Amino acid sequence: MYTHWTWVNMAANDIGIALRMENVSKRFPGTLAVDGVDFEVRAGEVHALMGENGAGKSTLMRMLAGAFNDYTGQIYVSNQAVRLHSPAEACGYGIGMVYQELSLAQPISIAENLLAGRLPAKRGGLVDRKAMRSRARHCLKQVGLDHLDPETRVEEISQHEAQLVEIAKVLARNPCILVMDEPTSALSREEVERLFEIVEKLRERGLAIVYISHHLPEVFRISDRVTVMRDGRHVGTENIADVTQESLIQMMVGQSIDQFYHQRRPTLGEAVLKVEHLTRYGFVHDVGFELRRGEILGLVGLAGAGRSELARSLCGLDPAHAGRVILDGADLPLEDYPGAVARGLVYLSEDRKNSGLFLRLPVSRNLVSALTASHSTWGVYRAGRDRAVIAEQLDALQVAAASPETDVANLSGGNQQKVLLGKWLAKQPVVLILDEPSRGVDVKAKRRIHEAIMALADAGAAVLLLSSDLPELVGLSDRALVLRNGRLIGEMRKEDMTEESALLAANGQLP
Amino acid sequence: MKRVLDHIGVPGTCVAVLLLGCIGVFALVTGEDHVLSRFLTVENVMTILNAVALLGIVASGMAFVTYSGNLADLSVPSIMAFSGCVTVAALPFGLALALVCGMAAGMSIGMLNGLVIGRFRANPILWTLAVAFFMEGFMRFTWGNKQVYPDTEPGTAGAAFIHISQIMAGPVPLVVLVMLGMLVTGHLVMIGTRFGRESRYVGSSRAAAETSGLRVSRLVTLNFVVAAFAASVAGIFLTSTKKLGLFDTGQGYDFKAVTAVVIGGVMLSGGRGNMLGVLGGVLVMGILENIMTFCGITSFRQNILTGVVFIVIVGLQQHWLRRGGRDAE
Repeated sequence: MYTHWTWVNMAANDIGIALRMENVSKRFPGTLAVDGVDFEVRAGEVHALMGENGAGKSTLMRMLAGAFNDYTGQIYVSNQAVRLHSPAEACGYGIGMVYQELSLAQPISIAENLLAGRLPAKRGGLVDRKAMRSRARHCLKQVGLDHLDPETRVEEISQHEAQLVEIAKVLARNPCILVMDEPTSALSREEVERLFEIVEKLRERGLAIVYISHHLPEVFRISDRVTVMRDGRHVGTENIADVTQESLIQMMVGQSIDQFYHQRRPTLGEAVLKVEHLTRYGFVHDVGFELRRGEILGLVGLAGAGRSELARSLCGLDPAHAGRVILDGADLPLEDYPGAVARGLVYLSEDRKNSGLFLRLPVSRNLVSALTASHSTWGVYRAGRDRAVIAEQLDALQVAAASPETDVANLSGGNQQKVLLGKWLAKQPVVLILDEPSRGVDVKAKRRIHEAIMALADAGAAVLLLSSDLPELVGLSDRALVLRNGRLIGEMRKEDMTEESALLAANGQLP
Repeated sequence: MKRVLDHIGVPGTCVAVLLLGCIGVFALVTGEDHVLSRFLTVENVMTILNAVALLGIVASGMAFVTYSGNLADLSVPSIMAFSGCVTVAALPFGLALALVCGMAAGMSIGMLNGLVIGRFRANPILWTLAVAFFMEGFMRFTWGNKQVYPDTEPGTAGAAFIHISQIMAGPVPLVVLVMLGMLVTGHLVMIGTRFGRESRYVGSSRAAAETSGLRVSRLVTLNFVVAAFAASVAGIFLTSTKKLGLFDTGQGYDFKAVTAVVIGGVMLSGGRGNMLGVLGGVLVMGILENIMTFCGITSFRQNILTGVVFIVIVGLQQHWLRRGGRDAE
């Protein structure tokens, strides 16, 4: 009897808890991405989830979306213990995800996108177009897109409308928990405000909303509570009224900058790279700066600020419509990356799996993949020259591979990243552009990578560092440029740079 | 043993098994005891080599297209026909010049293929299929839907041209020597030159090759030119054998060459395989055909069997690849 009442009381207390994750963990090869996290969202609240890149937010949410079948811990949806081992299961429990990247099929109509997989059918299997239109209209109305014709193809509507259609598509499945991952990165200020009105309406309807964002003002504007994660762990959950921007940033960055970085005293040489008025329409506007030998120059900016776009236009991988890039006193032709590489300006890709490494080739082949020109005489490849280079890089970066002939795909993320860096170190670059040089790697590998970067700069190379990992950016950079909406809005000196000031600068508040 | 297996790899092992299987079938059909000794007579080996020589030449070029991740060049038959026709048409200017013209004609198609596929990233299968269709029409239009005959009077360039296919070096026909020469050269190019190394990078991952600073579109173009070079050589030999140039010379060599390349362990996904395997693949095709003909299997049924072999091999490759992909996770 007593037990029965206790149970009822507990249930009464828990009413309104739409989602509870208890002690959940998820391990990737070589790293524990989510480490014993407790996380709870009430019905009718907007719950912001914050943390730096690599803090584990995305992994936690992908777990919720059913992306993994090997997480540990327990997840409750509306107080019912559930197992989310597939996206279908997650969807069945009313969990809806709005991702940063659009998942709409461009060449088909909005209505067909909204009702994909559940198109109303007439007898005989033909699509009931009338029912489809009216249902699609209903969905669009929820996100304030009444004016759109559901038969319009997705490629004909604007980016922000597509973002709203994406939300409508998720809402069409009547979720009780809605996860939004950086939904505003592609929207203008007015569009963001419209989106927030919709989010508020959904909150009134009792949805539990998880809102992932790096934009502090947005978080304060829209959310009720905020949970901060760091290094895969839960740091704290607070009412938004009880925190300030500063205290929130403090929670996110912790005290993780160690003395390790400060040992370096850069010896700066002459300016080796000059960029003038570099423009790529829509992404990068009139950017100019100088980079000196021995310098590690950071690039501070939020997601969508155009960091990668700037780097890729600069080195010639992406188009550039105006401007000059001057390397070692001579102009570098725009849009000629092989030419840039030949002259020693190289770019370490942020996407190691798709465009960085040759996954199906051995470690050794990957390490010498940028050396085909220098290891050849009259077109004949001198394989004998490879061995010393491979041994040197494996040793310098302490790559843990069974043998140099192991396919690089079989290495852990950290070791893959080391191989990717080793490939460019072997090239002995004049200017090295690093785009997320330690994304998704464990602490030990990260330290190894950082040491190698500092050693390279000490040896006289110039480094342009793009990173969403604030401790890394602040720790390694000798100076930083602040990029916002594709424009340089300022510069930070080493002395002024802290994780807090960098995050504020990225949000547009320069010191 | 492990090292040997690593070197020839799974595909090489399969080639060996297939070869032995073929000989086994041969033994069963003939019902003789000393099959291997009868099979491995100089005449029989030469018969088989002679029969596969043209295929081997075409495959030695096709292998580069597959190796560099561009699947296959299906315009190979039209390159063969075109180079043959142009050579015959140019014979009045002398044999040497005619051969140069024929090679240039064939390779110009390869150049076009390479430019469109390398620079504009056209789908290699669809593009080369379209080129083959276009070239057939073009050749029929140019030569008025007629065969092109060389002048066979003794002492003329035409006679010398026809003699090409009959040249023997001892017991070995010239065409077999050319095939072996091209496969060996291809092997050396693939493993020992900058072009071969870079092609492997492109075949393994075009995106990663681009961010490594390789001139990817140029490499792809070169690979198609190599394939066209090989096809032109084969086309000239075939035209010389047939003693006439026609738009459908070389018909069927597209699929047969891909099959030989794929049996030889060059992965359709690119970046894997070697010329030794291709030689094995070519021999398997030859022996298969040799045995099937010997057994009295008509050519239509031979096509069915060749198709089945292709499907099985590609299926196995995909299976290995998927397994490899899982290992990667």
